[in-house]
Amino acid sequence: MQPIKNIKDIPEFDLLTGGSSVCAGCGPSMGLKLALKVLGPKTIIINSAGCMTLLPLFPNTPLKVSWIHNAIENAATTAAGARHGLDALGIKDMNVVVYAGDGATYDIGFASLSATAIKNERVIYICYNNQAYGNTGFQCTTATPYGSDTKTTPRGKENPIGNTTIHKDMLKLMGVHRVYCATASLAYPVDFLNKINKAKERDGFSYIELLGTCATGWNFDPRYTIKISRLAVRCGMWPLYEIDDRKLSLNKEFKELKPVDEYLQLQGRYKQLPPDGVIKLQSLVNEHWAELNEFNEKRYV
Amino acid sequence: MKHLLITGNEAAAWGARLIKPHFIPTFPITPQTECIETLARWKVEGDLPDTDFERMESEHSVMSAAIGAAAVGVRVFTATSSQGLMLMHEVLYIASGMRLPIVMVNISRGLSAPVTLWSDHNDFLDQRDSGWIMFHAENNQEVLDMVLQGYRIAEDPRVLLPVMVNMDGYVLSFTDEPVIIPSYEDVKQFLPAYDPQHTITSDRPVTVGPPVMDEYTDYKAQMHLASRNALTVLDEVQNDFEKIFGRRYHTVDEFMLDDAELVLITQGSMSTTAKAAILEMREEGIKVGLLRLRVIRPWPGEIICKALQNVKAIAVIDRNIAPGKGGIMLPEIVESLYHSINRPLVSGFIVGLGGKPQTEAKIKEITHKLANDLASGRPRIEWNDVEVS
Repeated sequence: MQPIKNIKDIPEFDLLTGGSSVCAGCGPSMGLKLALKVLGPKTIIINSAGCMTLLPLFPNTPLKVSWIHNAIENAATTAAGARHGLDALGIKDMNVVVYAGDGATYDIGFASLSATAIKNERVIYICYNNQAYGNTGFQCTTATPYGSDTKTTPRGKENPIGNTTIHKDMLKLMGVHRVYCATASLAYPVDFLNKINKAKERDGFSYIELLGTCATGWNFDPRYTIKISRLAVRCGMWPLYEIDDRKLSLNKEFKELKPVDEYLQLQGRYKQLPPDGVIKLQSLVNEHWAELNEFNEKRYV
Repeated sequence: MKHLLITGNEAAAWGARLIKPHFIPTFPITPQTECIETLARWKVEGDLPDTDFERMESEHSVMSAAIGAAAVGVRVFTATSSQGLMLMHEVLYIASGMRLPIVMVNISRGLSAPVTLWSDHNDFLDQRDSGWIMFHAENNQEVLDMVLQGYRIAEDPRVLLPVMVNMDGYVLSFTDEPVIIPSYEDVKQFLPAYDPQHTITSDRPVTVGPPVMDEYTDYKAQMHLASRNALTVLDEVQNDFEKIFGRRYHTVDEFMLDDAELVLITQGSMSTTAKAAILEMREEGIKVGLLRLRVIRPWPGEIICKALQNVKAIAVIDRNIAPGKGGIMLPEIVESLYHSINRPLVSGFIVGLGGKPQTEAKIKEITHKLANDLASGRPRIEWNDVEVS
């Protein structure tokens, strides 16, 4: 498939149709709907237990592609098995795509992901990162940003910050596996789909991390899903970049970032983050942004 | 056909080699390692041209990849042991729930802690209710033969459940025994090329493993019925197997049961020792026989009951322990006998944990204790290797 130039080039067909039980304004399901426009019907989605597991609910499914749900921690190696199976059958034209949340990716499934990546299995791994265990009601993962309120890091007298752990730098970790890695945002669908397209053309493993903007968990009005997805990029909370053969490329450069406060204000999960928490979060964002700019178009990992 | 002097691990590997699986995901663990090393060597030497041998990063991922490949529609083999089997535990239920005909050899080893490398049966008995068909071999020939039979049973449309072939670590896994290696032609006649019931190809989207609501019970009931079907299928498979290979295995292995008053119920490799002891005790005029449990799931309760209909006393010899309860197989046997007209006395003996050798002398001691129990009319539950008070 040729690179997509603008939003009008995005195919109109849908392989994720209506009738699913996801929340209003659900970013991850929008992400899958978009990704399938590039992936096409010859696709097997390997899902790890999480919000998206509820897309098919027997005997109904909104999906027009194949779907395997195994458990939570093993989507990558289930995908590797499916790829080996397809190879044994001589089927080369099927995409094997993992669609897994951040808990399944950063935490419980990291060993399975790492092993599949380092062996460069022909799998496209898309992590829809909603920055918490969403399906169980929003508990902290190692992808949860500093300062986020979650059900297992609630704000309180003893700890007004919420989550005090700085999240894992997953792109860097995946970059050292020498595979194609990229971040993506729903507000930049052309960028996202071109990254999927790039991954699809590869004869190996790719890791794409989509900000899984989550109205329910982040506690915002569902109509703001795209607005918040855009602000995340503009504030430097979710920079868009790729690592390819260990080299970094920033995909959206800004002379100046918007202050993170603009992004935080729209979301209930940050509403009561005290000023020193906001300052700390801003400094983490600045540090990351400076690092990305320093290594832009250079060897990064 | 040829005769080789090989270990249980090599017999398992030969079983895999003969059936030509498409995919073998692996992870090493003592005492299984030799099995996958053998397959890796054969792969590189060109003896497994149609097989994809793959290293995984854990047993959990071995079974996960096995599920991915089997769901797509290819024949999968793997082997594990002990802690590895325990790590797979979660996904074993998923493999059987998805009705995937995977065959796995488990080389039994006691569970940590404390660490032991030697055999007992807690590892696979912990998977007893996972929905897998479970066999337990007595010797290396049976290991190989059960791998071949395992695929026939697993892939039968009336069954479609994964099969676990168990053997005792060290005693079989690392001991050379003469094994008949069937020819590829005979194996192909017994087990034709894989024609999967369910596949994922590019033409037809399929959903595997979605959430269900009320239908959950229906799925589990179907699994139960499928497992029960395996008893019928097993008989048919034995007929075909005997026709082609000239050997036959019965669902339960009966040894000198016809006129036996005392019966030892055993599993796995210790059965060979027990049979030797029985031959000697028979010389002394003791009417003792043996029933070996070959098929653990599906549970052949009626067959066991029938085999034991005329006996007076039974010693269930458990090489496992459910702490706080006792031997795992004892209550299974007792449950089956409860409905029989002739209810024999049943004593339980817990033996051989962590590989403690079961000698003929120990088997004789158990038999004498059982004779005393019969005389006194009082069954016992006893640890054979240790004083427990």
